[in-house]
Amino acid sequence: MDIIGSISQFAAQEPAIFALIIGVIGAAVIAAVVNVGAMLVIWGERKVLSDFCNRFGPNRVGGRWGILQLGADAIKLFTKEDIIPADADKGVYVWAPIVASMGTMLVAAAIPFGALHIGGKDYPLVVANMDISAFYVEAALSIMAIAVFMAGYSSNNKYSMLGAFRGVARMIAYEVPMGVCVISVAVMAHSLNLVEIVQSQTVWYAFAQPLGFVIFVIALITDLGRIPFDQSEAEEEIISGYNTEYSGIRWGLLYFQEYNNALLGSILLSLLFLGGWQGPIIPIPVLDIISPLIWLLMKVIIVLWFFIWVRSSLFRLRIDQVTDLGWKWMLPLSLVNLGWAVLVGSYFA
Amino acid sequence: MTNASEVLSSIQSAFPGAVLDSRVESDRRLWATIDSKKILDVCKHLTTKLNFDHYSGSAGVDWIARKEMEVVEIMASHGAHQVVAMLKVKTPRENPSVKSLTGLYWNANWYEREIWEMFGINFEGHPELYPLLLSDELMGAWPWRKDYKGYPDLTTGERAVKISTPEGYTEYHIPPTPAEVEAGTVVTVRLKYPTLREREEKEIKSDSEMIMHLGPQHAMVPGPFLLDVLVEGERVHKAFLDLGYIHKGIEKIMENRSWLQGITYTDRMCYVASLSNNECYCGAIEKILGLEVPLRAQYIRVILEELSRIQSHLIGTGEFLTLIAGVGYAPWQYMIIDRENIISLIESVTGARLTHTFVRFGGVRNDLPAGFADQCKKVLPYMKSRTEEFIELFAQDPIYHKRMDGVGIIRPDDAKRMGVSGPPLRAAGVAYDMRKEDPILVYPELDFKVVTGTKGDSADRIDVRLREMLESIHIIEQCLDRIPEGPIKTEVKVPKKVPAGEAYYRVEDPRGEMGMYVISDGGDKPYRVKVRGPFYATFQTLTPLLEGTYIADAVAIAGSMDGCPSEADR
Repeated sequence: MDIIGSISQFAAQEPAIFALIIGVIGAAVIAAVVNVGAMLVIWGERKVLSDFCNRFGPNRVGGRWGILQLGADAIKLFTKEDIIPADADKGVYVWAPIVASMGTMLVAAAIPFGALHIGGKDYPLVVANMDISAFYVEAALSIMAIAVFMAGYSSNNKYSMLGAFRGVARMIAYEVPMGVCVISVAVMAHSLNLVEIVQSQTVWYAFAQPLGFVIFVIALITDLGRIPFDQSEAEEEIISGYNTEYSGIRWGLLYFQEYNNALLGSILLSLLFLGGWQGPIIPIPVLDIISPLIWLLMKVIIVLWFFIWVRSSLFRLRIDQVTDLGWKWMLPLSLVNLGWAVLVGSYFA
Repeated sequence: MTNASEVLSSIQSAFPGAVLDSRVESDRRLWATIDSKKILDVCKHLTTKLNFDHYSGSAGVDWIARKEMEVVEIMASHGAHQVVAMLKVKTPRENPSVKSLTGLYWNANWYEREIWEMFGINFEGHPELYPLLLSDELMGAWPWRKDYKGYPDLTTGERAVKISTPEGYTEYHIPPTPAEVEAGTVVTVRLKYPTLREREEKEIKSDSEMIMHLGPQHAMVPGPFLLDVLVEGERVHKAFLDLGYIHKGIEKIMENRSWLQGITYTDRMCYVASLSNNECYCGAIEKILGLEVPLRAQYIRVILEELSRIQSHLIGTGEFLTLIAGVGYAPWQYMIIDRENIISLIESVTGARLTHTFVRFGGVRNDLPAGFADQCKKVLPYMKSRTEEFIELFAQDPIYHKRMDGVGIIRPDDAKRMGVSGPPLRAAGVAYDMRKEDPILVYPELDFKVVTGTKGDSADRIDVRLREMLESIHIIEQCLDRIPEGPIKTEVKVPKKVPAGEAYYRVEDPRGEMGMYVISDGGDKPYRVKVRGPFYATFQTLTPLLEGTYIADAVAIAGSMDGCPSEADR
């Protein structure tokens, strides 16, 4: 087509300017997509969890589905008084939520949000298509751990401090097996690029390496700090843990990042193990262009639904049991999975 | 089987002259006034020779006309026999002092502290005579004495004086008026005792230890009470309890209300078990009056109390589950929804959801509504299948067992020694249930088992509660089959003034053994009502249980006791 032709001509002539324009537009778009997506995730979690619990959930603001509930909550959070404890480490305290949101934006920059199917070819929707994006995303996801520690430590509160310690201990124990799982996938895909990993999945890696899939799911839930691994918050023990002292919009930011991460984490899981946006092309004129997007969205929704299901039916583990499970079971098993991936991967290479 | 007169003669032969006065009320109740010098020996004799291994509590009574005070020690046995010995120790009203039983019975601690702060009776040899329920301002006023004139009126803030503390906080103090000082209602001379904070800080041994508050406002507590834990990292080294955040002085209030009005106050002690509390109070007064309850009323009472037990266990278990699973845990909501069925059943009879005030002296307030039995027969099989489902669900859940197995183990001997009551006691393997031990109403005719556990840990406590619900359903089904037609109130006219006398009556509350000791001096109001609450007894054991556990376990242990601080504080 003419437009695509002229755009590619411009890209060839002025690569630096083209990259800048794409970067700025992409940043604006992903910031909007991720944040709106996270809001939908929060609303969805409240509705689905209510379904599991046999109650209604939000059903007043914005019609019977309560779709505007989040807007109301956001207005409340924005207008609340911003309280900083007198004895808090003020600088760190203020920056912790910002670091948390920076972490999620860094993840969002490198993660492909799907693809457009135009003229028999997939054009992945990714801002920074770097060669090691799988590893980069996994590393950037754990910036949340730093933010959690900053928030908990600077609050100068006993509950928060314990929550911060718990968060870090848990994160270290599960980052390693998670990384090993990403490596196993990369070994099979012969690439660390998420787009290439998706394209190489003729068989979903969930089936090619089931052990790695299970470990990755558990480690991901831990990373996201959801039940049964929400020890750093543990409302009934340490009163929301690391964010006890936060209120108003700062608390809102921290809370929001958890759901941003849940969304990005489930996209990552779909990309690495569930075949990403791959699926049969729907033979209807407009839908065929966005059909990869539809497939990815469906997978992400199923993964998120699974997370909520887990939340409504499992108990919270004790922190020593969590680290125990991480170091004594998950790490050795993930190494076993790596060996499996090397064997199978080299056989099919 | 030992009976009360044998116990009396055994004491009299072992300690000639120790028993100053005695009354054998029935085979199961012995009232004796013991020489205050011999009380320790008599108690020791009872425990070692006569199997009185259950120190059930003590009550203080102020006999202002006789110018003396009385401490009543309530002794019973964990199943060896069914005698309850009420041993009275007298002491002069000026500088009252009796010997402490804490050396013999570990759980005498709290009962004696309460008597000390309320009546000012000193206990010689008590290791930690600190206030338990009262706030510091009231210490020394001895509010439950008969000549107490009331606390200064603080309802108007006009007299408030602004004070800046050294730490930089602003506080408001209300100084008493000269008239109040003259009337003696204001404590001017402060007693010397270390505050809770000083006692806690004394235990801190190293820099890595700190005190963490789990309460009084905390997601874990079922009502306000202070549980402080001394932690090093995640380990709990020591725990401290402080009560009295919802101390309502119900026992004292009941002394100023008519006999009938007292029933409403028993509701408010623990609103999820109000029918058992009604029953306990009314039963004690029926005993003094010698009233016979018609058979139909007895059946109605049993049906409602068992229904109330089911709903109490449901909310107790459900709340506990949220402590270890978070509020998003679905079965907790299922339990609450199921509980609605039971509550509706009770409501259809009593007209209230929680505070029923339904039991009356010699009967019940009103009859069962038409169609109640049909409604029950619809709900009960459903509840049965649901309960079995819950039991199976927890039996199969691996994370549940990882969190609950071996947590907060109470061994049978410890459980008896520390006076645990109710499901925690039975989970330890001690089959001690008031419905069998001290049967009331039509319980002897009904067929049911006393559910016991084997390990005594948190998982067992929950399991015992769930299986008890099945037994309760079985009891109600039998009652519905057997309930006769007839009057629901006694034919005798209940007098406004209850003749002088005293009674101790025990029922099986959902939380364990509830006893009420009621004294009448022949007036239209009770002279003294002492409530021996079940959770008060279980509460005390938390402190030793929590030592050496993790914080998360501390929550799992405290929650599994199914606490009701409202009833503990009264």
